[in-house]
Amino acid sequence: MPFISVDFALFVTAVLLLYYIFPKRYRWVVLLIASYVFYGLTGIENFAYILTTTVSAFLGAMLIENKGTEQKKYLEDNKNKLTKEEKKSYKAVIKKKQKLILTVCILLNFGILLYLKYIDWSIAYINLFRLTYMGRIDFIPFKNLLLPLGISFYTFQTMGYLIDIYYGKYEREHNFFRFALFVSFFPQIIQGPISRFGELAGELYKEVDFDFSRIKSGFYRIMWGLFKKLVIADRLAAYVRDAIALRETYKGLYILLAVFFYSMQIYGDFSGGIDVALGVSEMFGIKLAENFNRPFFSKSISEYWQRWHITLGTWFKDYIFYPLSLNKGIIKLGKFVREKGAVQFGKRIPIYIPMLIVWFTTGMWHGSQNRFVVWGLFNFVFIVLGTEFEPLSNKITQELKLNETGVMMKTYRVFKTFWLMSFLRIFDISADVPSAFDTFVLIFRDWGSFNIKFVYENLSLPQEDFIVAVVAIVIMFVFDLIQRRGSVRERIFKLPVIFQWVILSLLITAVSVFGYYGPGYDAASFIYGAF
Amino acid sequence: METVIEILKGVHPEVDYENETGLIDKRIFDSFDVVNIVGELMDEFDIEITAEHMIPKNFNSAQAIYKLVKTLEEE
Repeated sequence: MPFISVDFALFVTAVLLLYYIFPKRYRWVVLLIASYVFYGLTGIENFAYILTTTVSAFLGAMLIENKGTEQKKYLEDNKNKLTKEEKKSYKAVIKKKQKLILTVCILLNFGILLYLKYIDWSIAYINLFRLTYMGRIDFIPFKNLLLPLGISFYTFQTMGYLIDIYYGKYEREHNFFRFALFVSFFPQIIQGPISRFGELAGELYKEVDFDFSRIKSGFYRIMWGLFKKLVIADRLAAYVRDAIALRETYKGLYILLAVFFYSMQIYGDFSGGIDVALGVSEMFGIKLAENFNRPFFSKSISEYWQRWHITLGTWFKDYIFYPLSLNKGIIKLGKFVREKGAVQFGKRIPIYIPMLIVWFTTGMWHGSQNRFVVWGLFNFVFIVLGTEFEPLSNKITQELKLNETGVMMKTYRVFKTFWLMSFLRIFDISADVPSAFDTFVLIFRDWGSFNIKFVYENLSLPQEDFIVAVVAIVIMFVFDLIQRRGSVRERIFKLPVIFQWVILSLLITAVSVFGYYGPGYDAASFIYGAF
Repeated sequence: METVIEILKGVHPEVDYENETGLIDKRIFDSFDVVNIVGELMDEFDIEITAEHMIPKNFNSAQAIYKLVKTLEEE
């Protein structure tokens, strides 16, 4: 069932009715059934994958907890018999067993994800190797496997839970069905956010009273998400596609415009989808984690990544970056290099090596193509350069007596970050790495040949659509600016009721009238839904 | 406590660790320093410091770091 469709609207309405009709203590059951129905509608065969993840993580958490209980009991029973050293070595044995359970679960779940996502990518390389070095032309056929809906998102979320249980961050969920809801909660299954058990569990299982203001607030958010997705993102998609495809003919500003529009498109598409997910959840009284914090106002690439797809970034930080960074092997390597005299280099090893791995993985996560890996590595390089040149940049700012906190400097940094990130997205819209570089070079050619008429007539963005898109983008940025000082919806709800209705009517009208339903319209699919 | 201060002095010898309470907030330590200090602490005290401990509150002063070490040693 597409996320943006009449069917989905009817589905949510029906689930909402059932949810609030049912006694409070059973409402989570309604959500679980609804989530499985929703998931089942995407393909019955997908159940096998989500059930494997649910069952393995549930059992894994149970076994890890059992080992912890066993340790506690043993230490208590032998409190006066064991020496400090004996207690320590006993704890180490238990930890090792818990680690083994965790490793098996992680290998199983990420193994499934990796297999489904990267098998064809691997086959392509195996075929290339066989052809180049063995002269074999009997190519291994591609598997062409379909990725089950939301597999990246629920796998990351569930493995995050298991790692947290391993670290003893919180108690595991003892009820299998409640846990199944945590894995499958339908509003977030398509494209996140990737929630943490500690935050989401309390929300999912709490007993809420019906509150109309919550429904209203959620509805506003859904409409705002639809505005971003249908009025902006879907309208710009055709232009971006055509301008990149015809880049040899339409160079320079046409491509620059496509790069700018793609940033707007992907933001509208992804953050719009997240708004829908958060709005739907809010109607059920469930608060999901925010995934965006006005990313285009970031003053550095590091800051940008703390404000774009926040839940994925924090996932990588907590479950890949820190464990690697605090890994004894990497720390020892850093120390060894420092002791050999390369103090500054050694100091950086426990940060930069894990960061490189994180960016490589982030690239892979976005897609099984080399261009995404290169995109990830460019992000890494830019962050390293930003960090290393920060002292020099500060010195220049001081020498030139520029006001570090002034509007000019802030604007310059925001502008620089926005364009750097936009240029990196060329990898996203190109077929491969060479054509991404080719597109980048073509941006700087033939600026004089730009004629807006060709945008309207030859590149799938008629004048009226162009105007609507630009106005909608301005509205989106104005709202983002207002949001800096707090929730826009809360401000709206403080207005007289008549104004609240006027704003809502305008929003509904904008989505219905200006939502893009023309050629290439595909409200059902989200760019991040494919990840 | 002395060992903790010794480790900290190995990274930033100029800091008055007895009185300084804003090692992170005042950006005296950067992320490189913190990770390297954590490495030294894990090595010296045979403790496991994980992502959840990596919060400014735990590294703002020598006292806070010492408290973290003691808590982890008792676990």
